[in-house]
Order: sequence, then C-alpha cells, then structure tokens
Amino acid sequence: MIGIQEISYTYPHTVQEALHHISLFVPKGQCVMVTGPSGAGKTTLCLAAAGILYHEYGGKKEGRVSVEEKDVAGYASLAELAKKIGIVFDDPEAQMVFTTVEEEILSALEHRGLDAAVIEERLDAIMKATYLEELRNRSPHNLSGGQKQRVALAATLALGNEILILDEPTSELDERATQRITGILKTLKKQGKTILFVEHKYQHFRDMIDMLVVLENGRISAAGDPDTVMRDERIHRMVIPDFTGIRDVDTESGTVARRQEPPVISVHDLSYLYGDIPALNDISLEIHSGEFVAIVGENGSGKTTLVRHFNNLLVPTSGDVVIRGMNTRHCSVAQLARYVGLVFQNPDHMFFADTVKEEVAFGLRNLKRTGEEKIIDESLDNVGLLHTKHLYPRWLSRGERQRLAIACVIAMQPEIIILDEPTTGLDGNEARLVMRILKDLQKKGHTLIIITHNREMARSCADRIILMEKGTVVSDTSEGVP
Amino acid sequence: MAEILAYVYKDGFFHLLHPVTKIVFIVVVSLMCIISTNPVFLFALVFVILLIAYLGKLYTEVIEQSRLIIMMSIVFIIITVITMPNGIIIGYLIPIGFPVLGGTVPVTWGAIEIGVILSLRFMILIYAFQIFIISTKPRDLVHTLEKMRMPIDYVLMFIIALRFIPTLQIEGIRIHEAQLARGYNPGPGFMGRIRSVAPIIVPLVSNALLRANVLGLTIDMRGYRTITRTHVREMELVFSDYAVMGSLVCIACGFFVLLVLQIM
Repeated sequence: MIGIQEISYTYPHTVQEALHHISLFVPKGQCVMVTGPSGAGKTTLCLAAAGILYHEYGGKKEGRVSVEEKDVAGYASLAELAKKIGIVFDDPEAQMVFTTVEEEILSALEHRGLDAAVIEERLDAIMKATYLEELRNRSPHNLSGGQKQRVALAATLALGNEILILDEPTSELDERATQRITGILKTLKKQGKTILFVEHKYQHFRDMIDMLVVLENGRISAAGDPDTVMRDERIHRMVIPDFTGIRDVDTESGTVARRQEPPVISVHDLSYLYGDIPALNDISLEIHSGEFVAIVGENGSGKTTLVRHFNNLLVPTSGDVVIRGMNTRHCSVAQLARYVGLVFQNPDHMFFADTVKEEVAFGLRNLKRTGEEKIIDESLDNVGLLHTKHLYPRWLSRGERQRLAIACVIAMQPEIIILDEPTTGLDGNEARLVMRILKDLQKKGHTLIIITHNREMARSCADRIILMEKGTVVSDTSEGVP
Repeated sequence: MAEILAYVYKDGFFHLLHPVTKIVFIVVVSLMCIISTNPVFLFALVFVILLIAYLGKLYTEVIEQSRLIIMMSIVFIIITVITMPNGIIIGYLIPIGFPVLGGTVPVTWGAIEIGVILSLRFMILIYAFQIFIISTKPRDLVHTLEKMRMPIDYVLMFIIALRFIPTLQIEGIRIHEAQLARGYNPGPGFMGRIRSVAPIIVPLVSNALLRANVLGLTIDMRGYRTITRTHVREMELVFSDYAVMGSLVCIACGFFVLLVLQIM
C-alpha cells in the first residue's frame, strides 16, 4: 500500500539530512509503528509517506514513494492523495478548522461523495466510537489537549480512507483515552485498513502492530517483527522507558526529616470555577520542602488547574493557597516566580531569544540575580545542554527543548519546581534522562511537583502520589509516610 | 474570557437567520454608515446595532470588546483633531502659555465633528461585523459564500483568517503566562505592552507560522478544497429571512430618499 524506496530528504535552508536512504514497505491491512528519539525524522517520514513532501515541500529530495502502487508524483495534487490517505498531524490544535466538534467532523464527511443519510449515520458512528458525543457542540479551541487529539482523529477517520498515517495520536492522552484509541485502531485494522503511525507508547499498541520501525538520526536503525526488534537491549531502553534505579538516589530520609518543618505549599479548601464549570472542589493539602510529588489523573481532572494556583496564574474562587507563608492572593506572579518555577507542557510557549544562553538569562535578569554567566553554564550543564549554548532554541529537538525549559527554570533557583507533563513526546532514554535530572534537583534540596498521566513513571520516581478525579483529590499515598 | 470573533453557541434570533440575510444586513449597514455624514443618524445606528445584539442574546460578547473599540475611537478623534483642523477654534491641545509649542495644535469644531463621524462609522462596522461572525457557524458561511460563486480558496482563506483570531488570542495568553512565570514583569499600561513585544510576539508568530502550515495541509488532506460536496443540514431561507431582508431593503430605500431630498 505504501512503498518508500531509498528516500533521502533535506529541508530547505538546512544542510543535515532529515531522512537518509529510508526504505520501508507497508503492506495492505498491516499496522506499522515508527518510534525513536525526538528529532529522528519520524514526522518527516509521515510527510514523505503521505506524499506531502513531494507535493508541498521544497528542499532536496531523492528516492521514490508510492501509494497503492502508484508513484506519488503520478497523483495530480494532495487532494487526489487525500482520497487514499487520511493523516493526523502531531499538533491537534492546528487541525481544528471549524468552531464546533460536530462541524469539524461533518465538514470532513461532506467531501466524500456520500449520500446525506450515510453522512449522518457515519457522523453518529464516529462521534460514538471516539467518545465525543458529549462534546458535540463544544468549541474545539476550548477542549483539553487530549480531547483535541480525539477530534482530529475523528475528523480523519470520518474520511473513511483505506490508509491512515498518524503522528503521535495519543501523546496528550491519559491511560484510559489511549486505550480507547488503541481499541479504535484495532477495529480499523480488523476492517483491513493500513496503518502507519508514530508513537512512544509501545506497550499500549504491542498487540496490534505487525512491524516496529526504529528511526534514529534520519536512519532506520531497526525494523521488523516487534519481538525480534525489542530483543536488542539498547532499542528496548529507547522504546520502553525504564525508570528503575532513579529512586535510589537516597532522598527518602531527607524528605521525611523535612516533613517536620512547616509546609512550603499549603492549600486550604481550594475551589475554582471556569465560568460556571467547577474545575476544583474543596481541595486541601500540604507539600513539604524536598518532597517529590506526582499529581496524576485523567485529562480534565484538574491537575493543571491546581498547580496554576501555586504561582498565582489562577486566583482561587474560594479557599487559599499559601506559599512559604505568603497567601498567593496578596502576591504577584512575578514575586512568586522567586519561589515557584513552572515548566509548561509546551516548552515552545516560552522561547523567544536568539540563543539558548539568552533564553536562560531572561529569567535571571527578571529576578536580578548576579553571577549570570556561571549560573547559566551550571544550569545548562545540569540538563546536558552546555554544548548548545550558542544555538537558536527552536533548532533543538523536542527532548532538548524540554530540557532547556527545565534549565530556564532551575537557573532562577526557585525552591519549588513544577513540571506539567515533562516527558510528553519523549522516547524512553529522553524520559529517563529528564526524570534523572529532576531527581538530582530533589537531591539538591528542591521541592519537585510533576503532573503526569503516566502512573508507572509516578510510582517509579515520586515519593508521593496525589490522584485527582473531577477536581478533587481522591487519594494521597503519602498519608502512610511517617 | 470571551474569545474575539469566535462563534458563540446560542439560540438568539440573529443565530436563526440565514447567512445571506446577515450578509444583506452587513451590506446595508455598511453602505448607510459610509455614505451618511450625520452624527445623529450614525449614533442612532450604533444604538440599533447594540439593540440587535441585546435581542439576539449577544450583548455580553459585544460589550466585552467595547473597551478596545472606545479606546480606538478616542485615538481617531485625537488624530483627526491634530491632522485636520477645520472651522471654529475652541481651544488648543497644548495651552498657549506653554513655551515654544504652546498654541500650535488648535482644537476645532470641524475636526471634532469629523473625528466623531469616523469613530461612529468605525464602531458601526466593527459591531455589525462582530454580531454577524459570532452568530454564524463557519460551515454555514462557507456553504453560503460557495453558493454565491466565491472561489473556494478565497472562502477558506477568509474562514482561516477568522479562525486564527481566537487561536492567537488564547496562544498569546498562554505565552504571556509562561513569561510571567519566569519572573517577567513588563509593567502596566502602554509601555508595559511595548516592553512585552519580544517575549510574547516572537513565540506567538513562530508558533502561528507552524500552525498555519499544518492547518493548510489539514485543509488539503481533508479534501475541503474539492468542488464536489454533499450538502447536509444546510440552512434554508425562511419567512423571517425574507421579512428581515425586505425590511432592510425598505430601510435602505428610505435612507437614499432622505439623502436625495437632502433631509439627511
């Protein structure tokens, strides 16, 4: 169905090849998973397989791509290829064209030459299959990242194409939502669809994939039967994050000792409403200096809303948040930035400087810290990015940008560091590296709070797990700790 | 927070009108406000549009953007006073007693009148366009413009331009928050906005360009640019549409008669 022969590609205005002599054949009805580190060329491979590189991109191209045994050059335009291939890109927000979820899917169906009755029938089926019925009249722009991913997938599934190309379709989804997507893809495979997808969640998809392809530096480093490929220990570590041993840095005793001290964060009866919608409901908790806390829960459970109160990005509707004895109601975000550092889920929201060094210096200058040069070097060294000091931040890979975001925050030396989904989109090695960095920061005395869907990671790395559901704390495993 | 120019899901009477009726409304209102130089008539037109917004349950959304519109109107009046002195002098922007520059910028009745007219026109166009856009589903608008034989690429360009406004607004807020969390304090007011340009505009534009690329590819790969389309759940012109369009035509004719008779 998709044939890629000796494809090499270099983006315009760059010298390094994004893909180097890639050959891959995806037979009809098979499911191929592509994985690898960020910056390996996975998205570029998706664009090549869909014929988009040929029809829409400049740059240097070599090799041949065929879809249903016809060279992509033989298709008059992307519109022709779109009759064969459905593609979901990795940025769900950018794929929202219309203003309600239903419109988004209906508009995709209207261009397939189907009868009106069939369109209505398929619309309902797709909404049901992707669990979007309740969101039918919601604006896609106001949905969570995970919900947007489901809408983007639903709009593509609505096209009913025989070939599906999915670029990280579950990166922002929680466990349950990922299982739902896995279920949908299994059904599509049973229906004979051909699926090529990029993912990091190998274990969720193991049952359905026929071939595993590992891409590194634009080259295929391993490809074939998943079990055979996974026998290679190095590949195994890259594909499945291994967090064992991270907890062994002996921070437990320190944490316990500091629990006797006053808490650095106290939340009292906190409730928050987004308009009329309750997001947090009567939350009370305390976090002590030196703790490593993981806040886990499904999409929309209120995790991010809770931590946004810690640096006053949100003001409580009722209740109070006290940071180091200061009620956040009486502090500005800039004042709290001295004590609380927040690494957002999307690091690209912060980068604007011309060099990595300047990016890190920005926070330091805001806080008027002295010894800038030394702190920048130390911070970049801590996250293994000292060698990128003079590079443009947006040239870095996703994993490197995530580490740069951490460096920007640790340079400001806040006592409390909060990270929202710090391992999203990272491969096993990168995820382990990030968690190792965080554990080292805890060792140096910082209080760490991470938000994650990944309970396995939380169990392996955090000393305390707070489980949230529908805006409330349903369990807090530290309660048993003396 | 209300999103600027994003469709609002409500059941007001303006939502129920066919996009063609709303386009006729926009055309009639625009022509009247551009042609008329009568401040009383223009003021009445602003009032009528706000009344339509109120009756159409869109008042909150319209009023939320009023601060910006009023600020822009004041800027228009000031610029007009400075650049188009005309008629009786009623004072000076810089008092005569002020050294060197005193008395150099006269404030005239004529300039104020022109400034007020320009501001009212601006308000009418913005309010009318706003209630049209926030009460019309983009999909219905695409269908209507297609039926009016507008090339699909232009229709999609128009829709994407509209769709990007709330996206940029939300993205701008996220970026602003990310920079605040890094201790950034640009300060309040106009100077604060100037200072916040680099840390906010640079990531905003970079991210928007990437998004625009993906959005363009999405439009192609979902086949939105193909001509063949099955028309589903299309709005039909009903009695209320004909009644509103008839009324608008009568109002437009009345306006031109008054204009010809030089009553207005």
